Amino acid sequence: MQRFIPRRHALALLAALATMPVASAWAVDAGAQARSFVTMFGSKLVGVVNSDISLEKKKQDILPLLEQYVDVDAIGRYCLGRYWRTATPDQQARYIKLFHQVLVNAITDKIGDYRGVTFVVGTSAPSGDDTAVSTVINRPGQPGADTQWIISTASGSPKVVDVVGEGASLRLTQRQDYGSFIARNGGNVDALLRALDKQIANHH
Amino acid sequence: MRAETGSNSWSSRPFPSPRRPALRVVGVMLGLLGLASCAAPPPTDPDALAEYKEANDRYEKLNRKAFGITMWANKYTLRPVAKAYIWAVPRPLRNAFGGLYQTMNEPVVFFNDVGAGRPRRAGDAFVRWCINMTVGIGGLIDVANYAGYKHHDNDAGLTLATWGVPSGPYLFLPVLGPSSFRDGIGYGIDVGLSPWNYVPRGYGLLTFNWAYNIMGTINGMATNVDALDQVMKDSLDPYATIRSAYQQQRKAMAEAIKNDHRATVPDWYHTK
Repeated sequence: MQRFIPRRHALALLAALATMPVASAWAVDAGAQARSFVTMFGSKLVGVVNSDISLEKKKQDILPLLEQYVDVDAIGRYCLGRYWRTATPDQQARYIKLFHQVLVNAITDKIGDYRGVTFVVGTSAPSGDDTAVSTVINRPGQPGADTQWIISTASGSPKVVDVVGEGASLRLTQRQDYGSFIARNGGNVDALLRALDKQIANHH
Repeated sequence: MRAETGSNSWSSRPFPSPRRPALRVVGVMLGLLGLASCAAPPPTDPDALAEYKEANDRYEKLNRKAFGITMWANKYTLRPVAKAYIWAVPRPLRNAFGGLYQTMNEPVVFFNDVGAGRPRRAGDAFVRWCINMTVGIGGLIDVANYAGYKHHDNDAGLTLATWGVPSGPYLFLPVLGPSSFRDGIGYGIDVGLSPWNYVPRGYGLLTFNWAYNIMGTINGMATNVDALDQVMKDSLDPYATIRSAYQQQRKAMAEAIKNDHRATVPDWYHTK
């Protein structure tokens, strides 16, 4: 009698079936972990943003939170896209240093816009190797903003690697901004570094 | 016709414009046809090709020109007006005007919800229209929102997307802003779907129409002016940033409509 499933395949199938409950349990676990991470990180952020301290002090207090819970290096590498591979180690190091400053500036610039913020953590879903956690950020007198937080554990602990606001990924948008800028400057990464330098120098 | 919705998305146009239907639709259509002849050849390097495909911008050269002209014009016309408007009109009043404009656009949302085969959304849009046009004094107060019927966007570009029509190449339309072949055609359809364009025009209506459009345009720009300023300041290539954000958001909006399988009966019907 002819076998319906060759033994080799049957074994593979069995192995796959055996790991399935484990995989789904892991997914549930990763989702719950990511949700509790976003709840924790979000509460800390909102705590600083809504407090009565001065704007300058808020900016200072936000910094350690960003360093601890946001994977800035990973976001930076992603944003440089294909030029990360062609950049020299020296360019990469300079870029990451500048990128840290640019990202911190971009975030701290926004603190002043947010007062009386509340947020609601929604569901989580796998997003590639990472986990996406949905939240709604509410500001008084304005419609709630649907925001997704992409959480990665690649660095060993959960960290934010992307924020998706109203459907647009911040890191993807940034990558296309940088990519287009470099391409229009003859593929020269140094042009980007100079532009970032200038951006930081002009920031106040 | 797209309304400014108060959400800071590129789909709610940063460059809203008054409704002068026929001429503009013809303009958009002719523009779309004319474009077919001026595409740049794709790059040969595999990495560059992947980037080129991701950007989906075959007419980049022309689009950048339209972007430059629009931004220049915006800087000296609509932007200062919108800034003055923000300075003069308090936020609650601006929100009320936004609500008025949004409510007038609700029929277009409704027809598109029906077109997309989403009865729950269509019902929400219909009820919003009925409540806000009456109790909400034409939309000045968003009573429907308090009654649990939250606003949602829809337009013919998105309806076509739910039907599986691909977006086609990205377009930056002068004054109108970011778009695509599909969304440009959708824009023409929306103008046709808006009942306001079928109301016979006496002098009173004509005045109302102008006031309504000018108010909607300024209010829309006021909603988006800060986001637009920030993009122009923070991006190294604002054109590419807007292109990326617009295309991602349109995709996400179409996905959200496709995945909306909520029942048409209220929730309490299912729970005993």
